Amino acid sequence: MIEFLEGNDAVVRGALDAGCRFFAGYPITPATSILTGMMRAMPEVGGVAVQCEDEIASIGMCIGAAMTGQKALTATSGPGMSLYSENIGLAIMGETPLVIVNVQRQGPATGSATKGADGDILFMRWGTSGGLPLIVLSPESVAECYTLTREAFDLAERFRVPVILASQKEVGLTRERVDLDEARDAYPPPRPRDVAPADRPYVPHAFDQPDDVAPLSPIGGPHLVRYTTSMHDERAWLTGDPAVIARMMEHLRRKIDDHADEIARFDFDPDEGAETLVVSYGVSARSAREAVARVRAAGGRVSLLVLKTLFPVPEAAIRAALIGIERVVVPEMNLGQYAREVQLLADGREVRSVTRMDTELVSPDDVIREGGLL
Amino acid sequence: MTLGPKSGAGAGPLSYLDEASLPLPFCPGCGHAKVTHAIDGALQILGRPKERVVVVTDIGCVGLTDRHFDTNAFHGLHGRSITYASGIKLADPDLTVLVVMGDGGAGIGGAHLLAAARRNIGICVVVANNFNYGMTGGQHSCTTPFGGVTATCHLGNLEAPLDLMGTLRPSKPGFLARTSVFADDVPALIARGLATQGFSLVDIWDLCVAYYAGQNTLTRNTIGDLMAELEMPAGVHFEGTRPEFARAWRDLYHPVETVDDEGMCLPPPDVGLAPVAQSALAARTGILIAGAAGQKIRSLATILGAGAIMSGLHATQKDDYPITVLTGHSAAEVLISPEPIVYTGIEVPDVVLILSEEGRTRVARKLAKLPPESRVYVEASLGPVETPARVIPLDLKGAAKEVHRLAVGAVGVGAILAAEGIYALEAFEAAARSLQKQKVADTNIAGLRAGAALAG
Ligand SMILES: Cc1ncc(C[n+]2csc(CCOP(=O)(O)OP(=O)(O)O)c2C)c(N)n1
Ligand code: SF4
Ligand SMILES: [Mg+2]
Repeated sequence: MIEFLEGNDAVVRGALDAGCRFFAGYPITPATSILTGMMRAMPEVGGVAVQCEDEIASIGMCIGAAMTGQKALTATSGPGMSLYSENIGLAIMGETPLVIVNVQRQGPATGSATKGADGDILFMRWGTSGGLPLIVLSPESVAECYTLTREAFDLAERFRVPVILASQKEVGLTRERVDLDEARDAYPPPRPRDVAPADRPYVPHAFDQPDDVAPLSPIGGPHLVRYTTSMHDERAWLTGDPAVIARMMEHLRRKIDDHADEIARFDFDPDEGAETLVVSYGVSARSAREAVARVRAAGGRVSLLVLKTLFPVPEAAIRAALIGIERVVVPEMNLGQYAREVQLLADGREVRSVTRMDTELVSPDDVIREGGLL
Repeated sequence: MTLGPKSGAGAGPLSYLDEASLPLPFCPGCGHAKVTHAIDGALQILGRPKERVVVVTDIGCVGLTDRHFDTNAFHGLHGRSITYASGIKLADPDLTVLVVMGDGGAGIGGAHLLAAARRNIGICVVVANNFNYGMTGGQHSCTTPFGGVTATCHLGNLEAPLDLMGTLRPSKPGFLARTSVFADDVPALIARGLATQGFSLVDIWDLCVAYYAGQNTLTRNTIGDLMAELEMPAGVHFEGTRPEFARAWRDLYHPVETVDDEGMCLPPPDVGLAPVAQSALAARTGILIAGAAGQKIRSLATILGAGAIMSGLHATQKDDYPITVLTGHSAAEVLISPEPIVYTGIEVPDVVLILSEEGRTRVARKLAKLPPESRVYVEASLGPVETPARVIPLDLKGAAKEVHRLAVGAVGVGAILAAEGIYALEAFEAAARSLQKQKVADTNIAGLRAGAALAG
């Protein structure tokens, strides 16, 4: 069925189809329509959606609900992301599957509430204490708000980790022609939660290999479940033993980083003989696509890598795309954040940042001119 | 029902403590040990299966208790235990959910305490209130009495203490009681809280022997005097019968509303935007609609885009309006294209529709930069427009008067579709019929036809 929907609507549909049955949120432009959409959608499927007293309560309720076995979602924008910070750390520590949508707005603090940017890209990865990894995905279109929300829930279950959907106003509140039924039919059924067998003792954070992910047992289910924000061993007992702590840190890091290739989602559009590579993501990737099409139409050669997974950084995909490349151009709606990640992999190649944080889209013309593509 | 320690024992487990984990870790004489045993006693009175009990703790010395319960245990962030407990209760309303927090947690998490009581969510909160932050070395908390001496007010506290009962009572939650670790009724009061359908809180005055008690000569014998002095007596302070939130939410929220304030159907109807006509539009066309709040610009733009889709075209829409939605400008960008739309920005608008002074001011910068081949359709009464583009003044308001005051936008769109030939009027009409309730659709369609006549 063809529809004319906003990215935020598609997030709601994606969450529904992923089996999400719990939502807690706090109103904030430009994410509010996910809250109101979930308020309408959840009752119909027997789920629960609540408006909380603040964003700390929103994510806290989601973590509690997730540990009873629900797939949970919360959505906010920059100011709310700041308030989520401490609890994102808790979800990492407690290995809680959880999906967070950040419909970014421009600016630090309150910024431009109704305008877009991708200014929180590094904050989403590094915005909680401890520095341990989580997953960040970035949709470039309304259709991808659906598919990447589906992916986010599946990845959250697979790795027992918070997954952040890095949306922004220009995607979340832009209406586009989409066929979500087609997208749904093309997508595999939602990943069921790995549940610990009822007839065996439950070890909440069990792992043999450091990158193993233990199945969950719901609070209120057959086992007595322990969960803690403090440093713990595999059974969730507090520990001060450096050897045990080192093992747990390695586990929390490697269950994500060792699987970066499995988590990597990207489009690579190589151009034979191109010496310039454009790397982009989110709504700016659409400008990059348009710019690349114009350059090629004018006889120029340029390759394009569009990243949908931002963290863990799809290193293998970026390195592969860099083969034969002399110069990289990274357009993004901030002051040059992801360009640093690319720079780290670029082995001294020139990395040119094309940035814009004045609430306007980076235009295809900006990419061509400032990227020196023609 | 009469409740007292052990009175209901027998039905459930003999103890809810993990015997292997004892002794408790608190300083000798710390009241938190009594609180822990009182909670065990209360759970025995209740006798629920351990699997159906969740003990959620906060940070602080008192937050060490959950480790010693042989139930489900959740140790969360400082001040946030109520939020995890609420999520657990909302997800599984049949669980018995107990929160154990300190006065420190009650302070930093005060917003959650107020919200949980107002919601009347069925969790039982035990506040082990020892008048200071034990864990961090005896700093003052929200319940430190006026004049009390702590590490951060060594000459005496200048803040008035929070009265948990007095603060929460106006919310009319399920059960509120105050006692002290030295009273015999602690397990019974907690059990009454746990048995309450709605929100309950038991404020247990407690001794931190390492810090607050010693420095302020607070003892078993003087704790009652402190209650009298602060006019915060022990006892049951409130019992209410409001419905419990987690269950009440489920009971209430099954009916779903179907129309929003702009007359758009919610949730979207099952009829898709299948093509009803085929447009011969050759090139991407960017349309900017600039009007005022109240002119229903957003829903009009949606119908314009949906009509394009029903003509076999592609479309995107972006809105621009101030946070104060009932005043000022309301503008929308609609991009229509025979090809899938990659870049969603409109670098140069091909068509601009100006419906009000607010709208014109909003897009003035863009108007000034338009190329001569762009077209600006403007409500004639607004006077001349400063732009290099071709200006087409039309009596949109006059035409709308025949239809409906709110049809002025539809009149403008009708004029544009007729004059520009972007797609057939039937497709706009079909879009309005599938996305809007009948009365709104009728108005828009009548406006559209009036506008087409105006242009034709
Ligand atoms: C956000 C945050 N700020 C500060 C702390 C440090 N901290 C740990 S316990 C505590 C106070 C606990 O006091 P209370 O809740 O009264 O418990 P008690 O130790 O007295 O039992 C503080 C401030 C923290 N853990 N988290
Ligand atoms: S510091 Fe105070 S609150 Fe903490 S265990 Fe010792 S006496 Fe109890
Ligand atoms: Mg205390």
